[in-house]
Amino acid sequence: MTSFDQTLDVKGAKCPMPLVKSRKAIGDLPVGQVLKVVATDRGSVADFQGWAKTAKNVELVGQETVNEGGQDLYLHFIKRTA
Amino acid sequence: MSMIEDQTTVATFSPAELYARILRDEPTFILDVRNEDEFARSSIEGRTKLTTLNLPYFEFLEDEDGCAARVPSDREVFVVCAKEGSSQYVAGILQERGYKARYLEGGYTSWGNFYDVRDVVNAAWGRIVQVARPARGDLSFAVISGGEAALIDPMRHTQVYLDLIAEAGAKLTRIFDTHVHADHISGGPALAEATGAPYYVHAYDAIHPIDMLPAVIAYTHIEEGHSFEVGQVKITTRWFPGHTLGQVNYRLDAPDGQSGLFTGDGIFLRSFGRPDLGGKGEAWTPMLYRSLTERLPTMVDDSTLILPAHFSTLDEGNAEGIFAAAYSEVRASNDALKPRDEAEFTTYVLSNLPVFPPEYVEIKRVNIGLSTPCDGTANELELGKNICALSG
Ligand SMILES: [Fe+2]
Repeated sequence: MTSFDQTLDVKGAKCPMPLVKSRKAIGDLPVGQVLKVVATDRGSVADFQGWAKTAKNVELVGQETVNEGGQDLYLHFIKRTA
Repeated sequence: MSMIEDQTTVATFSPAELYARILRDEPTFILDVRNEDEFARSSIEGRTKLTTLNLPYFEFLEDEDGCAARVPSDREVFVVCAKEGSSQYVAGILQERGYKARYLEGGYTSWGNFYDVRDVVNAAWGRIVQVARPARGDLSFAVISGGEAALIDPMRHTQVYLDLIAEAGAKLTRIFDTHVHADHISGGPALAEATGAPYYVHAYDAIHPIDMLPAVIAYTHIEEGHSFEVGQVKITTRWFPGHTLGQVNYRLDAPDGQSGLFTGDGIFLRSFGRPDLGGKGEAWTPMLYRSLTERLPTMVDDSTLILPAHFSTLDEGNAEGIFAAAYSEVRASNDALKPRDEAEFTTYVLSNLPVFPPEYVEIKRVNIGLSTPCDGTANELELGKNICALSG
C-alpha cells in the first residue's frame, strides 16, 4: 500500500464532488505530503488520472481498488508537489 | 454548504429536446465535460450544425478563467457529462459568469438510453412504427394491424414497446429478432417472458460463436419460409446468412401491396453487416456474398421498403428521423451493394472491417442468457454507437 499523510473520505459522493473536495484538500496540505482519497464512485478512477495530467502541483502516486464489506472502494493517492 | 449545492437554478435540457434540435439541424453548441477517453469512445453527433468542445470538468477546477474563455459567450451552451453532476457543476460556473448554459438531464447515459418513436407507414391496414435509439444508431420496429402487434429487434428498455402497443390498443403476439445481436442487448427474451408472446430467432444464432455454448433462454426456432400473420399483414422469414449464421430478414406483405423487408444487420441503407463478429470473417464472407447477390434479389422489388437495424450517420435518415427507404433508392445510394465478383468482394470486405469491440463477445452471451448484467453494467456494455457495419 502506498504511504500517505492524510485521508479524505468521499464515500458516497458523486461526480464532480470527489475531485472538487480533493482539489480543496490538497491545497491545505504541506508540499510533499500525500493525500489518500477514499471514493465509491467508479468514474473517479479515470477522472483522477485525467486531473493529475492537467493539474499543477499535483501528482497521482498510486491508485488501488479494495473491497470492503462487499463494496468496492477506489483509493487515490495524490501528492502535493509544489 | 458548498457552492454546488446552492446551484439549484441551473436549467436543464432533455434528450428529446436535444434530438429534436439535431433533426431540425439547429445550430447547437455542446460542451462535453467528460474525460478525454470517454469523449473519444462516443460523443453526441449531429447533422451539420452541431459543434462540440471537450473540456473535462476537472480542468475548470484548475483554471476556471482559461476554460471559460474557450467557451463561446454569444450562444447557448449545452453542457453534457457522464451522469449529470459534473455538467450541472460546470453549467453553474458558466451561468454565474453570465453565460446562457443548460445541462443534459441524466447525462450521457440518458442520451444513450433515449428512444425516439415515430410512424414509418400509417395505412388502412395498420402501421409500421420505428423505434430508434439515436445515440447508438440502433433501430427496431413494431408492426401493428388488426389489434395485433409484432416487434422486430426490440431493445433492452422494454417498457417503450409495451407502452406504444398499449396506446395502439393492440396485443403483442410475436417477437422477432433478425439475429442474436452483438452490439446491444435484445429486449426480446424479456418481452416474451413478460407477455407470453413467442420469441423467434434462428437456431444457428442460439449458439455462442466464440464460446460454442448453447442458449439458455426460451426461443422458437424460425427458418427460411416460415410465415406468420399479424392482423392483415403477412410476415415471411428469409434466411440471409453472413453477418451471423442465423441472420434472417423478415418480409412484410400488406393487403394494399405495400411490402417491406426488415433486414436487421443484413443490409443497411448505406452499408451492410460485417461478417466477422462471430470471429470467422474469412469463412463467413463467401456466405455473405451469396446472400447479397443471390438471396436478396428474391426478397425485394424496387418499391420494397428496406427497414434496417442500424444507421451509422444521421444523414442516412430523412429530416423526420425515418431510417427506411425503397430498395430502388438503397441500391442506388449503397456503395457497398455495387456489383463485384466474389474475389473483389472478399478483398473489399476484409480490408474494410472496423475494430472489433471486445464487449461484443459478452453482449452475445447476454443475449442468449449465458450472462446476466445489472443495469449499470448493461449501460456500460452498450455505451457508444454500434460498429456493426463495414467501414468502407
Ligand atoms: Fe448490430
